[in-house]
Amino acid sequence: MGAAIGIPLTFLLILAFFITLSPQISAVSYPINVWPKPTAFSWPQPQITLLSPNFKIHFPLNPYLHQAANRYRKQFIEEHYNPLVVPHLNLTSSPPLKSLTITVTDDSAPLTHGVNESYTLTIPSPEQSTTATLTAETVWGAMRGLETLSQLIFGNPSRVACDLYIHDEPLFHHRGVMLDTSRNFYGVSDLQRLIRALSMNKLNVFHWHITDSQSFPLVLPSEPELAGKGAYGEEMKYSPEDVKRVVEFGMRYGVRVVPEIDMPAHTGSWALAYPDIVTCANMMWWPAGVDWTDHLAAEPGTGQLNPLSPNAYKVAKNVIHDVVSMFPDSYYHGGADEIAPNCWITDPEIQAFVAKNGTLSRLLEIFVDSTLRYIISLNRTVVYWEDVLLDASVNVSPSLLPPENVIFQTWNNGPSNTKKLTEAGYRVIVSSADYYYLDCGHGGWVGNDTRYDQPPGTDIGDGGSWCAPFKTWQTIYNYDITYGLNESAANLVLGGEVALWSEQADSTVLDSRIWPRASAMAEALWSGNRDATGRKRYAEATDRLNEWRNRMVTRGIAAEPIQPLWCIRNPGMCNTVHPFLAS
Amino acid sequence: MGNGIRSPISFLILLALLFPLTLQISAVNYPINVWPKPTTFSWPKPQIALLSPKFEIHFPSHPYLHRAAKRYRQLLIQEQYHPLVAPPLNLPESPALQSLIITVTDKSAQLTHGVDESYTLVIPSPSQSTEAAISAQTTWGAMRGLETLSQLVYGKPSRVACDLYIYDEPLFPHRGVMLDTSRNFYWVADLLRLIKAMSMNKLNVLHWHITDSQSFPLVLPSEPELAEKGAYGEVMKYSPEDVKKVVEFGMEYGVRIVPEIDMPGHTASWAEAHPDIVACTNMFWWPAGADLSSRIAHEPATGQLNPLASNTYKVVQNIIKDVATMFPDSFFHGGADEVTTNCWKSDKSIQAFLAKNGTLSQLLEMFITSTLPYVISQNRTVVYWEDVLLDANVSVAASLLPQENVILQTWNNGPNNTKKLAQAGYRVIVSSAEFYYLDCGHGGWVGNDSRYNQPPGTDLGKGGSWCGPFKTWQTIYNYDITYGLNEDEAKLVIGGEVALWSEQADPTVMDPRIWPRASAMAETLWSGNRDETGMKRYAEATDRLNEWRNRMVTRGIGAEPIQPLWCIRNPGMCNTVQPYVPN
Repeated sequence: MGAAIGIPLTFLLILAFFITLSPQISAVSYPINVWPKPTAFSWPQPQITLLSPNFKIHFPLNPYLHQAANRYRKQFIEEHYNPLVVPHLNLTSSPPLKSLTITVTDDSAPLTHGVNESYTLTIPSPEQSTTATLTAETVWGAMRGLETLSQLIFGNPSRVACDLYIHDEPLFHHRGVMLDTSRNFYGVSDLQRLIRALSMNKLNVFHWHITDSQSFPLVLPSEPELAGKGAYGEEMKYSPEDVKRVVEFGMRYGVRVVPEIDMPAHTGSWALAYPDIVTCANMMWWPAGVDWTDHLAAEPGTGQLNPLSPNAYKVAKNVIHDVVSMFPDSYYHGGADEIAPNCWITDPEIQAFVAKNGTLSRLLEIFVDSTLRYIISLNRTVVYWEDVLLDASVNVSPSLLPPENVIFQTWNNGPSNTKKLTEAGYRVIVSSADYYYLDCGHGGWVGNDTRYDQPPGTDIGDGGSWCAPFKTWQTIYNYDITYGLNESAANLVLGGEVALWSEQADSTVLDSRIWPRASAMAEALWSGNRDATGRKRYAEATDRLNEWRNRMVTRGIAAEPIQPLWCIRNPGMCNTVHPFLAS
Repeated sequence: MGNGIRSPISFLILLALLFPLTLQISAVNYPINVWPKPTTFSWPKPQIALLSPKFEIHFPSHPYLHRAAKRYRQLLIQEQYHPLVAPPLNLPESPALQSLIITVTDKSAQLTHGVDESYTLVIPSPSQSTEAAISAQTTWGAMRGLETLSQLVYGKPSRVACDLYIYDEPLFPHRGVMLDTSRNFYWVADLLRLIKAMSMNKLNVLHWHITDSQSFPLVLPSEPELAEKGAYGEVMKYSPEDVKKVVEFGMEYGVRIVPEIDMPGHTASWAEAHPDIVACTNMFWWPAGADLSSRIAHEPATGQLNPLASNTYKVVQNIIKDVATMFPDSFFHGGADEVTTNCWKSDKSIQAFLAKNGTLSQLLEMFITSTLPYVISQNRTVVYWEDVLLDANVSVAASLLPQENVILQTWNNGPNNTKKLAQAGYRVIVSSAEFYYLDCGHGGWVGNDSRYNQPPGTDLGKGGSWCGPFKTWQTIYNYDITYGLNEDEAKLVIGGEVALWSEQADPTVMDPRIWPRASAMAETLWSGNRDETGMKRYAEATDRLNEWRNRMVTRGIGAEPIQPLWCIRNPGMCNTVQPYVPN
C-alpha cells in the first residue's frame, strides 16, 4: 500500500455531473446498504465485482489517515461478511477492483467541532476502471468514506458493489454517545470498542462522563488523591496513559473525546480525598419522612462542592488544568446538573450565607463564574447541562454565561427545553431523556423498594424507571431534534447524544444497551429519518438496521437483536399496518 | 482425589443435634453468603481457614458425581474469588482444610422431577478436624452441596468458611428457565453456559422451547426435512449429537432438559417441509382493517397444524418418537398455546368442518386426543401451556386431559389462573408473565410501528411491550407462586420457570437478560423470599445479590449489574425508606 496520489478528478467530475443531476433516488431499495444511509447514493444498475486480494489504497500522507487506511485495507480483504440476505447480484466476469485512490483537499484540518466530514466515493464499473476514488475535504471525511466502502464489500471471496457514486455529508456536526464511567466502571478496552463502534456508525463524539458521586476513577497528576481515594479500586482507575490511549484511539477512528467532570453537584466521591470541600457527604439521600423535594441528592450518593470553600476552587482548578492538558478537544464539559438545595443547606457556613440574604442561585453563580472563567482561559468551549440555566430553584443568570463560550446540553422536557435554550441564544446538544436516554425502562434500582412487593394485580404503571418506558430504536430514530424550532433556532442545534447512565450498566451490557439504538440516532443525525418525499422512513430502515446490526455483531460489537431473524427473511411480514391511536 | 467412602456420620449427627436445636439464625448477616440462601445456615462464630492447595474430595463412585467432584475440586482450588466486600475475618494459625467427604444414601436415584436434592454440609473448625462432610440422599443433592461449598471459598490463597453447619433443601421441586431458540438461534455453547449458570443457582430444569413459527432448528432422524427447510440456516441447527451433548451436560450439572415442541399453534416453520399439514401459512399476521381479535397469529409468522389433515399425525408422531428418544427426561412439553381462531378458519377443509356444526374447540380436542395418548405411551408426563384448558375461544374439556398425565404451565392473569388450574386438580408450573417473563418492557419489535412516531409529549404508557413494564429482580423475588391458594391447591404447584422469549434476544444478550433475575426466582423457590419473622427479605437480599452477581460474572456469566458498585460498599445507603403508594 503506497501513499501515491492518483488524479481521477476529470472522471469524477464527469460522473458527478451526470449522476447528481438525475432525480433523488435515495429512497430506492438497494441490495447492499450503508448505515447511516448516505445523503446521495446513486447506483442505477446495481452490480458487483470481485475485490482484488491485493487491493491497494493510495492516500496522502497523514498519520491518522495512514492508520485508518491500513486498518480498512485489512478489513476490506479479510472481513468476508456473510449477509443475512444475500444480494441478488451475479458476479460479472469483469476484472476485480484493484485499488482505491484517496484525495484530501486540506490534510491539516484538525478533528474538531464542525470539521468538514463530507466525501465523495466513486466505484466505477470495472470495465471502465479498476480504481475507486474517494475525495474529501479532510482526512476525517476520508475516514467516513472508507467506512462506507467497507460496508459495500461482502462475501468470500470478497465482492464489492460497483458502478456507483456516493456523495455524503452529515446534517449535524455533533453526533455522540455519552457514557457514565462513575456509577460503574468500564475498562479501557470497553471504551476503545465503543469508539470503534462509534466510527462504524459515523458518530464523532465520545462524551465521557468520567466522574460522579459514586466514584472518581480519573488519576490526575495534580490531584492524585481524588482517584487514590475516590476510585472503586486500584484496578478501577484511568491513568494519564490510559487517557492518552483513549484519546489517540479516538483520533485514529475520527472520534473526538469530550471529557466531563461533573460539578459542583455529583461530587460525593471527591469527599474521600477532600471532606472539607464537599457538603452533605455520606448522608442518606432521601431521609425517612421527608418530602421528595427535600432530598439531599437525586439518587443515592450525596455530596456537592461547597462554593464558599476556598479550597474547593484550588482543587477544582487543579482538576480543570489537568483535564485540559490530558484531553486536547476544544470542548470541556463542566456538568452543573441537579443541584440539590438541601445538600447545600446542611452546611453551617452556607446556612449563614443564606441567613444574610444570600440565595442558593447566588452560590451557584459564585461557583460557575469562578470556574468558567478559568476554563475559558484555557481555550475551551464549555458545555453545561441545561440545569445551570433552566433549573427551577437553583440557576445562573445568562449574563454570566456568554453564548460564545457556553453550549448547553438539554435532557428535560423534550423539544420545549431545546426551544428555551435556543431562544436564549445558546448552541444546544440534544440528549432528551424522553428519546435519547438508553438506560430508561429497566425498573428501579434502589434497594428496599416496596413498589415491587405489591399485591398481584397492582398497576405499577411504567415500572419504576423515572424516564420509562424503554426507548426503542424506532423512538430514537424518529425524534427530530429541531422539532418546533424556527430556522435560526434550528441552526443553534449542533446535534445530539444518546446517553448511557450506568446505575444498571457496566461492561457486561455496554454493547447491547448502546447498539443498535445509537445507530438509529446516527442515521437520523447524519442523513435524516425521512425519505425523498419527506416521509419518515422507519419502516424501510428496519431491514437495513437488522442487517447492519448483524454486521456489527460479526465485527465484535454485541449489539442486541431488534427482531427475529425471520423478519428480514420475510420482508414486510413483521410490520404492522395499523396506525397507533394514542389514548 | 480419591474415590473412597469414609463415614463422618457420627460427627454429623452430633453436629445436627447441636445446631438445629439452637435458634433459627438464617436472618443473621454473615460475612460470606450462599445464593440461594440455604434453608438452615448455622455459623455462630464466623471464622475462616485456608483451603489446602491439595484439597481432596472423597465420594462414592457415580459417573456424574465423579465429574461434578472433579469440576468443583478444580473450582475450589483455582477460583480464588475476590469479593466486592472483603469479609472482615482474620486467618487463624490453624491448619488448612484438607478434604471433603461426600456420602450419598441412594446412589441410584435418577435426575427426575421430585428427586431429593437435600444435603447437609459441615465444615468443622480446623483445630478440631480438617475434613468437611457433605451427606445427601442422592448424587443430585450432593451436587447442590458442592455448589454451596464453592461459594464459601474465596480469596488468594483460597480461604474457606469454617465451624459451620448447613442443612438445605428446596421448597419447590421444579425450578427452571425457559429459553426460546426459534425466534432467534442460540449455539450449543450458549445452552451449555446457561446450564452451568443454572446449576450455580441450584435451578434444575432447562425448559427448551425448541421450535416455533419462526424456525425449526431441531434435526430429527425421522423428519429431517423439518430442520433442513425450517431452520434458519445450515449452521443454525441442533443435530442429535448436539442434543446429546446438551442433555449429557445437564446430567453433569444436575439440570434436567425438558423439550418443548409447540403445537398445534406456533408451527409455521413446519410448512417449509410439509405445506399440506399447516393452515394459514405465509399470510400477513394482522391484515389491514382487521380487528386485533381477527389476527391470523399473535405475532408475525402465521401457521397452525391442521387437525383434519391425516398427514399431520404421521409427522407429529414421528416428532414425538424422535424427541422422546433424544430427551430422556420424563416430562415432554407439548405447547398448545395461543391457537388463533382465524388461522384455522382460513382453511377450506376446516371451513367445511365448521359448516357441519363442528367447533374449533372440537378441532383442538381432536388434535389433543390424537397426540396426547401417544406421548403418554412413550412414558412421558405431558406439560401444556394453560391455554389448552383456559383459552376463552378454543379449549379442550378437562375430561380429555387426565390429571395424572398432564401438568399445566400458567402464564396469564397472575395468581388467578394458578388457582383455576389447581382447583381443576392439575399440577401447575408458574410462569406468570406479570412476574416471570424476562423479555417484557423492551418496547415493541414489529416494523412500521407509528406508535414510535408520535408528536413529542404523547403518552406511550408502558411503551409498547404487551407485558411491560420490565420485571426487575425485586418483582421476581417477591412473587409468591402460591399466592391466594389453600393448602391443597398450593401442593399442586410444583414450581416455576422464568421465561425468555427471543423476539429481541439472542446470544448477544442471553446472559444479561436472564441473570441475575433468574437468581432472584432461584432463591425464592429454594428457600423462600421471607426471613424467619415472615417479612419479605428483598432489602437484605440486595447486597447478597450484588455479590453473587459479581461472582457469576467472574465465572463467565455476563449477568447484568443491579446497582452501582457504590451501593454494596455503603450498606443501606442505596435503599429507599419511603413506602410506595400506588396511584
